[in-house]
Amino acid sequence: MRKWLLATLSALVITAGAAVGDPTLARAEWALDKAAAPYKGTEINIIFLDRPGYRAIIKLLPEFEKKTGIKVNYEIVPYENSREKQVLNFSSKGDLTMALVDLVWIGEFAENGWIVPIEKFTSDASITDPGLDLKGFFPLLLDAFGSWGGKVYGLPFDNYSGLLFYNKCMLKDAGFDKPPATWQDLYTTYAPKLTNPEKKQYAFALQSLRGETQSADSFMRVLWPFGGSLLDKTFHSNLMSKESQTGLKFRQDLMKYMPPGVVSYDHVEAVNALAQGQVAMITEWSAFYGTLTDPKTSKLGDCLAVAPEPAGPAGRLPALGGFSLAVASQASPQQQKASWLFIQWATSEDIARAYVEAGGVSGRSSVYEQADIKAKYKFVEPMVASWQKGVPEFRPRFPAWAAISEIVAEVGSKMMLGEVSTEDGAKQIGARMEDILKKEGYYDGKKALRQ
Amino acid sequence: MTSVPQNLSTRLAPPAASGARRHHPGYGRWTPFFFLAPAVIVLFSIGIYPTLFAIATSFRRYNITRRADQQDGFPFVGFDNYFTVLHDRGFWDSLLLTGKFYLSVVPVQIALGILIALMLHRPGWSLLRAITRVSLVVPLATTYAVVGLIGRLIFNRDFGVANQFMSWLGVSSSDWLGNPTGAFLAIVVMDIWQWTPFVALIFLAGLSMVPVEIEEAARLETKSPWALLRYVQLPYMLPGLTAILILRSADVLKLFDTVFVMTRGGPGAATDLISIYVQRVGFKVFDLGLASAQAILLLILTIVLSRLYIHIFYQEIE
Repeated sequence: MRKWLLATLSALVITAGAAVGDPTLARAEWALDKAAAPYKGTEINIIFLDRPGYRAIIKLLPEFEKKTGIKVNYEIVPYENSREKQVLNFSSKGDLTMALVDLVWIGEFAENGWIVPIEKFTSDASITDPGLDLKGFFPLLLDAFGSWGGKVYGLPFDNYSGLLFYNKCMLKDAGFDKPPATWQDLYTTYAPKLTNPEKKQYAFALQSLRGETQSADSFMRVLWPFGGSLLDKTFHSNLMSKESQTGLKFRQDLMKYMPPGVVSYDHVEAVNALAQGQVAMITEWSAFYGTLTDPKTSKLGDCLAVAPEPAGPAGRLPALGGFSLAVASQASPQQQKASWLFIQWATSEDIARAYVEAGGVSGRSSVYEQADIKAKYKFVEPMVASWQKGVPEFRPRFPAWAAISEIVAEVGSKMMLGEVSTEDGAKQIGARMEDILKKEGYYDGKKALRQ
Repeated sequence: MTSVPQNLSTRLAPPAASGARRHHPGYGRWTPFFFLAPAVIVLFSIGIYPTLFAIATSFRRYNITRRADQQDGFPFVGFDNYFTVLHDRGFWDSLLLTGKFYLSVVPVQIALGILIALMLHRPGWSLLRAITRVSLVVPLATTYAVVGLIGRLIFNRDFGVANQFMSWLGVSSSDWLGNPTGAFLAIVVMDIWQWTPFVALIFLAGLSMVPVEIEEAARLETKSPWALLRYVQLPYMLPGLTAILILRSADVLKLFDTVFVMTRGGPGAATDLISIYVQRVGFKVFDLGLASAQAILLLILTIVLSRLYIHIFYQEIE
């Protein structure tokens, strides 16, 4: 009898110990449907974009709604209006319960108190998946898209890296069996052989339409790889530095190998130029892979190949962009918790594979280690390589970026048109940008120099 | 035939010429108020209140994305925003460009509008005229953003019809939206396409007011279409011209969607019309104080221009 008692007690102790110490076991006990039971019937609201990552999560949404009973209302808006819509909603205490945070809005949304740090929810075991595992995200993404001032606000949801998409058939015909490794190679070796204006064929297209496309995709893209940057350590303009000027001049020189009118190219035009065989190479967001592989929108077929963006003298520092999902502080406590459950689910490892297969780009690293995913999606390897190292402040993420971006967009496109030299343009941007930063309080110590 | 009841006929009878006006027993002091109230409430909520709010905002430091402004309760700053606008070169450049745009589109629209109206006013071909009148409404009914999208396709360098048309004329293809002059011309063409029918319809309405006997008499007097236009038809078209000038001035000052979709104000600042500029300050930078000051100045400009048009062009038809 005594032996039996001892054995039973020992078994109980071991089981209890295992349950406390083993997260897998804790995870097995935590279930989304159980955690969501108190929030059944809650409606949560968010803004989505008309892009592959959102179409992918919309496909998977019924599964979440069925499991949890939480109703996710979404409104699809164009990117150009998405910030405006959210800012107006948050400042008028509207109905959004979650924020879709572009990398460059994180500072603005966090400093205005519109979004809630996730620590408020992770401290509540009843609504936090033990398998949340923040380390499972690419550190660069979690840092750049979701964090501000040392706190995590959002989880990476729709993730992009700048990649070199190229037409390997055109390159082969010109005598190249691999893509350019550096910008200099692209300019001196590849571009002359791939450009034939009489046949309306050009080596490269850089989307440069006035707006965020000009400031983020075009202007900033030539600063970092050449060792330049927008701001120096004291938050004054760094555009007159030798490195920044080298990058900007390089863009001017490269224009002779780009289609005329590239200043009016948005993403659609650049992708289309590659898809229709008018240009041999573009540097675009990973999210456009689907458009370039779809026979309805691209005639590239097997000629499409993908590589990391070329490196500059300062290394390979590709464009970095993407969106995180964060809980809005204006939501009721009930909605906040329901929103947190949705955000965890949408960015979880559990659905990462389904999300990628539906056309999304997950921020979870483990999904890209799966051999069949690597084999099926050509963009995976270069994208993962790009996310190993990068600059979170590729575009400054502070609240003043919106105003600065407009200045860069205006003067940047004037530079490309030759209406202003790179030096004069840099001086103009510098003066107007510093004026904004001064008003924001960055020069009198009122604000921490955080970008 | 039923006879009109006695009391109803009394009610319907006009008030006696002499003595005080008599009203229905249900007609009280507030009756007119109730009838007018819905219109006044709607006008107040969508017209007057926002204007008053914009005036109040224009005197405040009011950036809804700047925490410091919120914490200070969007402080009163007097005429600071107005001084900033008056010293802002970008604002004046955009305003000048808008003036240039207005002077490029309105004369063409007036000339084409008169021509179309005169053609539609001619006798005969009634079925074709009816079809044309209906089809003139199509550009007017098209959403501005859609006009912008159509513009992007028409002026596309590789497959746009603009270049196709130019190639028929033996002119080499041009990159319309990629160079400053081409982009400006492109938005001018799209505005002319959209608004010429409106001008034509207004002129047509003016022409239809010319009494038939006067026009017939004039045709007997002269064979010159110019004399007929100048001395008989034009006086009836002038009130319409005033309306066109006022409405087009206001439209051009707020023309946003088409240009934004086509060029976003670029390349460079080639199509950065004032509405694009104000929208950027208001809804990208979210400096609502400054944007309100800009909007109020534009409102004043519209009122001044309207008074000027009425003073110069408007005359009652005797």
